[in-house]
Amino acid sequence: MWALSQPWRPGTRPLLADTPARLLVALACVAAASRLLAGRTPLAAVAMRVVGVAAGHGALLATALAWAGCGRGSGVVAIVLLAVAAAAATVRPAGALAYLSVPLWIAWLARRRRLAALGLAGPVSRRALLAAVALGAVLGGHLLVSASLTLGVHIRPDGVAAVLAALAYDAGANVLAAECFFRGALFNRAQRRWSRAGGLALATAAYVARYLVDPLLPKSVEWLVGATFYLTLLGAGNCWLFWWSGSLVPGLVGALIFFTGYRLLGTGP
Amino acid sequence: MTRGLAAAAMLTFPGVAALIALTGSDPASALRHAYLIPVVALALALGGAGGTLGAGAALVLHAPVVLAEIERAGLTPETREGLVTLAVVAGVGALVGVLTTRARRQRTRYETLLAIQRALTGATPLDAALGRLRAALIECLRVADVGLVVRDGERLVVAGGDRMAEGSLAAGVLAAGSSVFVPDAGGGCRPRRVVATLLLVAGKHIGVLAVERVGELGGDERVALEALGAHVAVALEHARLTSRQRRFAEELERSVAGATRHLEELDRAKSAFVAIASHELRTPLTALQGFSEILAARSQAPDEVARIAGIMRAEAARLGRIVSDLLDLSRIERGLAPTLHRAPLAVEPVLAATADLFRRGAKSAIVVDCAPALPRVDADPDALERILSNLVSNAVKYSPPGSEVRLGARRAGAMVEVEVRDRGVGIADGALARIFEPYYRAAETSTVRGTGLGLAVVKALVEAHGGAIHVESARGAGTCVTFSVPAVP
Repeated sequence: MWALSQPWRPGTRPLLADTPARLLVALACVAAASRLLAGRTPLAAVAMRVVGVAAGHGALLATALAWAGCGRGSGVVAIVLLAVAAAAATVRPAGALAYLSVPLWIAWLARRRRLAALGLAGPVSRRALLAAVALGAVLGGHLLVSASLTLGVHIRPDGVAAVLAALAYDAGANVLAAECFFRGALFNRAQRRWSRAGGLALATAAYVARYLVDPLLPKSVEWLVGATFYLTLLGAGNCWLFWWSGSLVPGLVGALIFFTGYRLLGTGP
Repeated sequence: MTRGLAAAAMLTFPGVAALIALTGSDPASALRHAYLIPVVALALALGGAGGTLGAGAALVLHAPVVLAEIERAGLTPETREGLVTLAVVAGVGALVGVLTTRARRQRTRYETLLAIQRALTGATPLDAALGRLRAALIECLRVADVGLVVRDGERLVVAGGDRMAEGSLAAGVLAAGSSVFVPDAGGGCRPRRVVATLLLVAGKHIGVLAVERVGELGGDERVALEALGAHVAVALEHARLTSRQRRFAEELERSVAGATRHLEELDRAKSAFVAIASHELRTPLTALQGFSEILAARSQAPDEVARIAGIMRAEAARLGRIVSDLLDLSRIERGLAPTLHRAPLAVEPVLAATADLFRRGAKSAIVVDCAPALPRVDADPDALERILSNLVSNAVKYSPPGSEVRLGARRAGAMVEVEVRDRGVGIADGALARIFEPYYRAAETSTVRGTGLGLAVVKALVEAHGGAIHVESARGAGTCVTFSVPAVP
């Protein structure tokens, strides 16, 4: 038994140990610089979008990778891939497919068993996947129904290509970065430090806050309340899925399905 | 049962939602109360998590009905009723769930206490009892592992591992004297919580109880585990006291049985002694009576008178020795030491006189061999003479004709050791330990005259001098009795 045979030292690791602080500061500086330059050059808006995607999602992803013990290099690669994908997506909608390079990079790292701390190693329970599909479908479906009933929002009219581009963005940046950081890193670390409920509350609150400050979210009260409602349920559900299955994959699947419903409402990049 | 109830409850939610939708999606529809059924069922089946899940499901399903109506018509009495229903359902789900969880934990605690009592019932060694206790705790508490360390005198008995390693959590808790909770012991996709609590009895640390669970180990459960530690400690202490009491009772029973056997043997020996002593007393009395009658009946030749007088003197001396032995034994049995009149005494003349006394009529040669410059001893002359007479008498009696009996003396520190060695039949191993007991006579000596008192008196006399006596013997090789008396400083 561990308590009888293994060495023990009092105290626990700090919650923010291994955070790549210098990288995050550098990203913040770049984001601030791009904001300062906005409107002064013709390409500033495009550059700001690219920097925003790379800095926002890249910061989450780089922090998650650093907490998992991957080193700063892996995070930098992810940021570069995000920046390239964001730039490609601004050129033409099909360029959004470049976002898929980020999950490929993450999959490559996971295959080398470097992301076990994020729940990206080993087999995934089929029951957990089914539960994730159910959670995403229920919340996404509910969102579509309630939004159409209460807000009068209809399925987006701009076609399949825009939806697919938005989904590529979700798969490669939005959902991937959020799940890796809020579930795989933050919830995982917080629940080991305090309790499952405490970790769930912290990770979900941070997750909701991240979307409420997202510039792409419409800033009307209805949307803010709706986002809080659905993202709280999605965040809590994904925390539970992560705890139950020990894998991040069900959460990724559930969130992708939910965001599919969200994208059908005609919102997104 | 639990899973079936949960599954049925989950299937009820869409049914209720569909019925409300089919009847016009009225926020104040009477059917909205039906959400309470699956919510309560889930709470009863799964506890707090189930109640919360059920309440969440009801909220998700009924909120679009209520919120859409609020969006359309504002806060009407119907929408208010819908909102109140949502709040009631959420509250009931959470409350029933929490109460169910608490009730289950309470039941688990009682079951655990019973299991502890059951595990520690019976007269088994502490190691086995701890093993049983550990298995019972793992089963009742539904944990990954349990470790127990209990002090048993100077040693530590460990269950759940080979030993308690230095620097381990259990060692730390035992040294610090306070419980410790480790939120994550590392490894695995879920946190491995470990709590180690002291086993305290009357303020004394008797050990550590460590519990390891993959998953949650909440604050109230940790408090309950500390209380459980106190129960375990008391139960262990009771088990230990019961075991000690049982051992004590068994030892007492054995001692009483041994003492009873000893008393029975003593009783038999005393009965035998009465018969032997009567015979031993009668023999010299008969001789004295017979010879005195001869002297009284007719006049005898002077040589014959001298011979008869010699025999009568010897028999009277024998009678005197027996009576002295009986008197000494009487004092020994009353717990009194023989009375001594000590004086400085040269050993060699006493040995020579004793040898001379027994040479007459003896079939064995008696040799005296003392170390040179032997100091005088601080002893009672009569007692020393009786000791030597008894030992030499035995040596002569049990030696074959023509063999040699050696008397010797040498200095040994502040004492003088006297040795009487023969080449007789020897003493059996079983009898060797008992030859100094009063009335004891070895089975093979039954044909030889004796009362069984001599060696007991000898031992008492030697010990009264502050000396010691011991015997070495081998069957067929002879016997050597050595005793010591203090030398004059």
